[in-house]
Amino acid sequence: MDERLLLVEDDASIREVTKLGLTQAGFHVTTAPDGREGLLHFRQAPYDLVILDVMLPVLDGYEVCRQIRAESRIPIIMLSAKSDTVDVVVGLELGADDYVTKPFEMAELVARARAAVRRATAVNDEEPVLVRGDLEIDPGAFVARRRGEEVSLSATEFRLLLELARRPGQVFTRELLLQRVWNYDYLGDSRLVDVAVQRLRAKVEDDPKEPRTIKTVRGVGYRFDSG
Amino acid sequence: MAARLPVRTGRLRRRLTLAFMLVAGLSAAILAVSSYLLVREARLSDSVDRGLEQSRFNLVLASETLGASPTTAQTTELLDAYERRGTFAVVGQTNGRTFSSSLSLGPAQLPPDLKRLVGAGRLAYERREIAGTRYLVVGGRVPGSETQLYYFFSEERLWDELAQLRNILLSVLGAIVLLGGLVGALLARRLLRPVARASVAAHSLAEGLLDTRLPVESRDEFGAWAASFNEMAEALETKITALSEAQARERRFTSDVSHELRTPLTALVAEASLLAEHLDRMPDEARRPAELLVNDVARLRDLVEDLMEISRLDAGEARVRIEPVDVGSLIASAVRSRRWDDRVTIDRDEVVMSTDPRRLERIVANLVGNALEHAGRDVSVRVGKDGLGAFVEVTDTGPGISPDRLPHVFERFYKADSSRAGPGSGLGLAIALENARLLGGDLDVWSEVGRGTRFTLRLPVT
Repeated sequence: MDERLLLVEDDASIREVTKLGLTQAGFHVTTAPDGREGLLHFRQAPYDLVILDVMLPVLDGYEVCRQIRAESRIPIIMLSAKSDTVDVVVGLELGADDYVTKPFEMAELVARARAAVRRATAVNDEEPVLVRGDLEIDPGAFVARRRGEEVSLSATEFRLLLELARRPGQVFTRELLLQRVWNYDYLGDSRLVDVAVQRLRAKVEDDPKEPRTIKTVRGVGYRFDSG
Repeated sequence: MAARLPVRTGRLRRRLTLAFMLVAGLSAAILAVSSYLLVREARLSDSVDRGLEQSRFNLVLASETLGASPTTAQTTELLDAYERRGTFAVVGQTNGRTFSSSLSLGPAQLPPDLKRLVGAGRLAYERREIAGTRYLVVGGRVPGSETQLYYFFSEERLWDELAQLRNILLSVLGAIVLLGGLVGALLARRLLRPVARASVAAHSLAEGLLDTRLPVESRDEFGAWAASFNEMAEALETKITALSEAQARERRFTSDVSHELRTPLTALVAEASLLAEHLDRMPDEARRPAELLVNDVARLRDLVEDLMEISRLDAGEARVRIEPVDVGSLIASAVRSRRWDDRVTIDRDEVVMSTDPRRLERIVANLVGNALEHAGRDVSVRVGKDGLGAFVEVTDTGPGISPDRLPHVFERFYKADSSRAGPGSGLGLAIALENARLLGGDLDVWSEVGRGTRFTLRLPVT
């Protein structure tokens, strides 16, 4: 593993131990103590993953997340204070791929980081291009096009779209999607799925409020309809 | 809250009104009856006086007309003379012969007692009703003769007037009773209005409107009452405000403390988890303390997270996210993910309901964790549905909880087993209960020393 990881965290102890743990797990870790410096680092060198604290001095984690997402499809993991508040949803809506609640064990963060990187890279080159209605999904090139134009999707959004589009008409429960896309074994947060679907719809639907491609199956999950 | 007797409003008002009517009616009745009796007595004796006087005069008149043994012509002449006077009828008896001024009156109508008295030479009277007419009958002997004369004075008019008087008095009495009732009702209403107002005010105080006050409108007992009520409300408001401020301060403190603890705790947890990966490579003298450190950091983490959760619950910041949940499989995976499978058996019916899966998981994990802590193993979980909704029973075969401790198990930091400090934070059951209530449900406990303990979570199915 040679993935380059940017860690933005203001507390020195947390920053140091997290860097230590991630380095031991095989990542090349660069750290930044606040949001502005984090953004500077991000723009200076290529990275494979960003881990971002929500509460940051100078520029908060949400703003950093929003700016990074505007420029890149890189996976972003937010470090959130608590799991049952709006913190998490706001981060996800701004384009974060996943979140980890403080306090966390290193093994958990490492597992999330690896899963996020894997989502962004390992796709079977052999898999043919899928054509579904006006959508063209190319797993090998990691690119989706709509009416010939490239749709800018984050790695997670692309995975989600691919997963759904591979089996049009099949109903996917949130749990199944959490397993297949996020690699959660059990009891992931279904908000991850709901927010990612929302963001995906905003990019592939004519009217995200009246989705024709990614449909909600009430009380169960989601289904891809190629129209 | 204490059980309350059903209050029927208006009862006191009705009673007061009724009392008023009774008092007014009774006094009016006593007045009416006594005045009627007085008037009646006066009128009747007046009538007797006049009858007797007239009879004396008539007897003198008869003695001038009749001789010692009067002839028919003489009696006829007497009757004629009487007829001219006109206001009475007369029956006479002389030497076994009877004469009468009226066809309907004769010797048969003469009262025997009266006849006896007149026979003894006295002037006497008696009242008698003959053929529907009431008469004052006055009898006497004509002076210097054996002839007895009986005068029938009709008292019909007198009785009619008395009846009229009685009717008037009765209607006045009725009117007074009605008026009494009306005045009573009005007065009762006015009198009881402060009571009704106080009742409403007490209610709104009880419902938490602490600024409720009564208007002090009068300088009587009610005014004093309202003033004391207001004093009480004032004192209550001050005290409750102070209490809730103190409570808010305390909660803010708990929340602040746990928030401040979070950053160093996050570092600690990450460090300890990293340390735990290298325990086996440590020199012996460092390994054991490092192990203890890792365990204690986990304990501290549980405690701080529980504190933060309970302070969020207290602050009302806890959010509920409802989605369809298969209760049985949620519990099964919660148990599996904590590696409790070998010590916990799950017996589940299919229950799919709308609830917050994270909170439900939290409740069940706390209950099962608590059961495992006390019983060690053989914990059974039952998931089902009945007429009351969905339920989850967590039963252990541990030592049980004594009846004096049982009511306190949901209190914060209450340890049912005081002899040992368990690994739990002491907040687990309190958090479970708060979460159960947040989901609209409730949590019950049953326990028997030596047999075990059962917690039952009930959730409404809508």
